[in-house]
Amino acid sequence: MMNCFEVRQEFAAFWRRELAPEQRSALVAHLKGCAKCDHAFRTFAMSAPVLHSAAEPPQRAAAERPVAKDSRARRPATVARGDYEPRRRGYAMSAAAMILVAASLAAYFSVTAPVGSLTDELSGTQEPAVQLFGSDLTPTSEDLAS
Amino acid sequence: MLGLAASRKTGWKLAVRPDEELITEILNGQTAAFSELATRHRPRVERLCQRFFSDPEVARDLAQECFIRAYTALPSYRREMPFGGWLRAIVTNLCYDELRRRRRRPEELIADFSAPEMQWIGLVNEATPEDIVGAAEERREAHDLAHRLLETLRPEDRTVLTLKDSEGLSVSEVAETMGWSVAKVKIRAFRARQALRKQAERMTASGRGRSQ
Repeated sequence: MMNCFEVRQEFAAFWRRELAPEQRSALVAHLKGCAKCDHAFRTFAMSAPVLHSAAEPPQRAAAERPVAKDSRARRPATVARGDYEPRRRGYAMSAAAMILVAASLAAYFSVTAPVGSLTDELSGTQEPAVQLFGSDLTPTSEDLAS
Repeated sequence: MLGLAASRKTGWKLAVRPDEELITEILNGQTAAFSELATRHRPRVERLCQRFFSDPEVARDLAQECFIRAYTALPSYRREMPFGGWLRAIVTNLCYDELRRRRRRPEELIADFSAPEMQWIGLVNEATPEDIVGAAEERREAHDLAHRLLETLRPEDRTVLTLKDSEGLSVSEVAETMGWSVAKVKIRAFRARQALRKQAERMTASGRGRSQ
């Protein structure tokens, strides 16, 4: 007599028809009398055609609907908007991050650049910043010298 | 002709040259030997791809890609491991990458069952175990639904289950194939079985609910 553990260990062999007739009968008899193992077998049977089948998968009949290459074709209406594709979401998030970084950099330089330019001008390493910023208020090197 | 006659006389094993011999020829520039090597391993490679993807076209494409990669990487092949195992590592990693690329959400699982799929779920709920096993071999929808169920798993969970259950690899062999630790494989296998059981129960319960 097989116990529950032994029975569940033999599910795969049963599925592949590898059990000896007496083992097969013992397993079937156990499943008839044990609701938990019977439930476990029916759960197992849902994935077994792919995971445990030794045979080639049966061919699809021409009349049957084709399996969509794009998984979106099977989506329910509630999630079929096409806007949550992980890849696309990744691209969108990358683009948003890049825009944010660019905006931050622009803001940072717009604040710090005049000071840096003035320093450079004082040290004589850069042309006056007036051309760069177009402001009459920016002192020229002549102003600073006088 | 002589070789054929000899092979008929002495048995087929003499006619089959070892993988290592073919690999040596390919590395020496006789690229035609790769065709023999690919023909020999193609059925196993395609079968493994079919465990990951239900669409035969996708499985064939991946098998083809696997042989291209194998050909390109052949100079790096180390002879201490069997060529079949090396090839399996290539195809598994290819399929794993593809799974990661096209992962579906678990909520898509119970979306739209076709009539044959509903019949199959009903049969799993009601029929005897022996009838279920017999029917599964003839029904394409059993295969398709199993794929839909497996698609809800994380790619690494599915890869571990496929290598362990379908290919019969041990935990350490799976770890070696994927370049993961043994502990990771054990954890993934445990979680994969839990998740698979949960999703299968959802699927059968859904079938029961719709048939009532």
